[in-house]
Amino acid sequence: MNPIAGFGLLLRMALRSLWSHKVKSLIVGSLMAFGTTLVVTGTALLDSIQSAMSRSIIHSLAGHLQVYSSEAEDELSIYGGGMMSGNEVGQIPNFSKVKSVIAAVPNVKAVVPMGIQLANMSRGSDLDRAFSQLREAHRRGDATVAPRLVPRIKRLLSLLESELINREAVSSPEVKKTVTAQLVDVRRVMNAAFWTEYDTDPLTALDFLDTRIAPLGGEGRLMYLRYVGTDLDSFSSNFDRFQLVEGEMVPKGARGLLINQRFAESRLKLTAARLLDDLEEGRQQGVPISGTPNLESKARRLATLAGSITILLEPKDAKTIEAQLAALITPLGPATDAGKTQRFEDLKTGTQFTVKRKTSPDLEAYDANLDRLLTAFLTMDDTTLQWRAQFFYEVLGKKIDLYPFETGDVVTIRAFTKRGYIKAVNVKVWGKFVFKGLERSELSGAANLLDLMTFRDLYGQMTEAQREELSQIQAEAGAQDVARENAEDLFFGGDEETETSETETTGFSEFAGVNLKRQRRATVDERRFQQDELEGGMAINAAILLEDDSMLAETQAAVQKAVDAAGLKLRVIDHERASGLIGQLAMLIRGILYVAIFIIFAVALVIINNSMVMATLERVREIGTLRAIGAQKRFVMAMFMLETLTLGLVTGGIGAALGAGIITIINRVGIPATNDIMVFAFSGPRLRPDFTADHIFVAVGIIMVVTLLATYYPARIATRIQPIEAMRGAD
Amino acid sequence: MSVIVDLRDVAKEFPLGKTTVHALRGVSLSIQKGEFVAIAGPSGSGKTTMLNQIGCVDVPTRGEVFIDGQSTSALSERALTRLRLRKLGFIFQSFNLVGVLDVAQNVELPLLLQGNLTRKERDMRVAEMIEKVDLTPQSTQRPNELSGGQRQRVAIARALVTRPSIVMADEPTANLDTDTGNRILEVMRTLNKKEGTTFIFSTHDHRVMEHARRLVTLVDGLIATDAPHGSEAIA
Repeated sequence: MNPIAGFGLLLRMALRSLWSHKVKSLIVGSLMAFGTTLVVTGTALLDSIQSAMSRSIIHSLAGHLQVYSSEAEDELSIYGGGMMSGNEVGQIPNFSKVKSVIAAVPNVKAVVPMGIQLANMSRGSDLDRAFSQLREAHRRGDATVAPRLVPRIKRLLSLLESELINREAVSSPEVKKTVTAQLVDVRRVMNAAFWTEYDTDPLTALDFLDTRIAPLGGEGRLMYLRYVGTDLDSFSSNFDRFQLVEGEMVPKGARGLLINQRFAESRLKLTAARLLDDLEEGRQQGVPISGTPNLESKARRLATLAGSITILLEPKDAKTIEAQLAALITPLGPATDAGKTQRFEDLKTGTQFTVKRKTSPDLEAYDANLDRLLTAFLTMDDTTLQWRAQFFYEVLGKKIDLYPFETGDVVTIRAFTKRGYIKAVNVKVWGKFVFKGLERSELSGAANLLDLMTFRDLYGQMTEAQREELSQIQAEAGAQDVARENAEDLFFGGDEETETSETETTGFSEFAGVNLKRQRRATVDERRFQQDELEGGMAINAAILLEDDSMLAETQAAVQKAVDAAGLKLRVIDHERASGLIGQLAMLIRGILYVAIFIIFAVALVIINNSMVMATLERVREIGTLRAIGAQKRFVMAMFMLETLTLGLVTGGIGAALGAGIITIINRVGIPATNDIMVFAFSGPRLRPDFTADHIFVAVGIIMVVTLLATYYPARIATRIQPIEAMRGAD
Repeated sequence: MSVIVDLRDVAKEFPLGKTTVHALRGVSLSIQKGEFVAIAGPSGSGKTTMLNQIGCVDVPTRGEVFIDGQSTSALSERALTRLRLRKLGFIFQSFNLVGVLDVAQNVELPLLLQGNLTRKERDMRVAEMIEKVDLTPQSTQRPNELSGGQRQRVAIARALVTRPSIVMADEPTANLDTDTGNRILEVMRTLNKKEGTTFIFSTHDHRVMEHARRLVTLVDGLIATDAPHGSEAIA
């Protein structure tokens, strides 16, 4: 048979046959077109998400590849596996060795050391802060500070007093004795006589405050802090999503903390301000409070937070604010139901509204009226939100600290070291940063940045200097009077053994108390370190950034080979794996898509198969005739195959074009990211997917394979039809 | 004259439920090149079965079939198919045209299957053949636009376009009215005379038998009579 002429004949027969069975062709064709559309849109969308997510992951924290100890018990998870830093991922004892081996591998641009840990952080209680300001002022000889601070201290103490009175009432006799003694101390300070004494002998008074009153002030605000200890210099120059938005970069060789702005906004910021931000954001986007359950519940919560603001106000500011609020919001008639419900009028908008409180304010209380007005102020609806949000930031916000600490402050970070005891380090907050495009993502926003030296301290690692100091101290121990500064360093510094035993004997609360004292004095390790000191020490893992990311798999293999050859016990994983569950999200969605595609094509396969079997049975005589007049079996096979292949190619082409069209439209419009995970997955606020020729080829390829599979069986049946069938039966 | 078809003690049995149908019970028959043979007999006498053996679309249970001196029993399915393509032409009772192809394409089909002619040669051969069966005006029509007689003429053209040695026709007029049937047989007879093609056709219609030059009658799977027939016999 002449191949070209034969093919022409087959094609003609295929097309004619398809045309003569229009309905069947249409049904099967639509199914195939739909399947192809789905494959093109689905895979293009997923590839776009995956590459966007890769960008998020690679350029914010993970780098292209990650290395960590091959002796690790758990898998490395950059974005955290759970809340606690319990992951046992081993460590890299000497980073510089690892760096020199890996940096020599072609295509490696940079190797950045890292260590991820979850710690808690406190900035001491409000009393602590007031006392330290007092001490600081005294040291400077500044007499203007005390008169301003004393009313505030008294106010804080009045709160503490009522708390102690309550505690006294419920305590067992032994504890009661202690509490009563504490009350005596507190009342002593609240008395004007104490402050007269302070004026004459400030140091004794300050000691009393530090030792007797400050421990009663509690922990202050405690919060969790997730940080990546790293070579900040190398990090900021290699991760191009990193952008400093406030303060300054930690100078080279200095210790310090950089706070992620997202973390600051969503975790650190005063709750009332955060809720107000959400309401205001809704307003700006045209989402009203009323009728939006999420915002309604936030508005209700906001209305209960007056107390959290009054406590932060300086007394004189409190009076000013009270007066300002009184001019804007006025009560209508007396409070009802024992002060729990009251009508107010918003004088700016003329809106009348009802304010509900859980408890009636104690009229004798220091801030009763301010608290009442502030509660009314924070009871907002869609009409009053705008000016109140403005007032909040322009007037109120200027008088209170919206964040527990600001850039330039020193914070205490406390973490569980590898040995299980708690280690605390004071560190300066140099600035705030964002990961560009991921500003709104909580996932990447959860990570703050810390210098690697401090990280090692918190991890329970001694520096060379600390080690030297320790051996020196050991040599001198007992023989010499240890200086106060040294003792404290010895006590809280690097020596693991000492600390372990101290923890065992002193217990947590005492430890915390001493720690707070240390914090008050804000002793920051200001020693500069050298680059080789930074690189010569340990790290938990290291990020590898590549020149050409299309060579990722090859480079991964090359790096693994290089570290193996160097005898370094390291595991090299790609960014997707390193990012844990999040990185595998795309894989998960892909899995679901593939299952959906598989089902659709399985259905298509069955339908095509079925209709082809029917067609075969309908055409028994025609096929018998062809065989009788000399057509070989393969001709019959080819005839059937070509028929569905043609259908597949045409409808698959239509489907692919449709899919490409859909992706093009989506690309123009963009898919908005509506939640945090989506922002991360889209690597920004909107996903603009793209397709490549590969998506089309893959889709059409799949449809071809499905078609051939579906047709093979009916075609085989057709080839078994004997030429004698042509002779049978008249009709 | 050479023997083109030679049946030697050909028997064919079909299982039918638990019994066996003896369609042919040992038939021997020689047909010369250029003969115009009718195989007659009542229904179930084995006419079609015998044609199927000659046409190599069926394999005998016993005996041997020689086509142009070649035994078919040793041939593979592929080889048999090739043999049919090169040496045999088929005309079916219900025409069996390919519905999706037009007249010319149906006629061209066996040539394409043979694949040894150029397009030009094929076109010429097809046009010539269509001309011979008087269907030139209909050459671009589809089978379903044609009458029964026209369709059978297409089938004849298709059977003869490859210039086969033997043309088999199984009750070629059974689905046609008498006039049309006669005309079809005249076409076949003319081609037989002009081209020297051997025609073997089965029929149970006496008027059709009139056209035959040799009449073989079958009864119960055995040859009852085999004699020259019609004008040639008389002459």
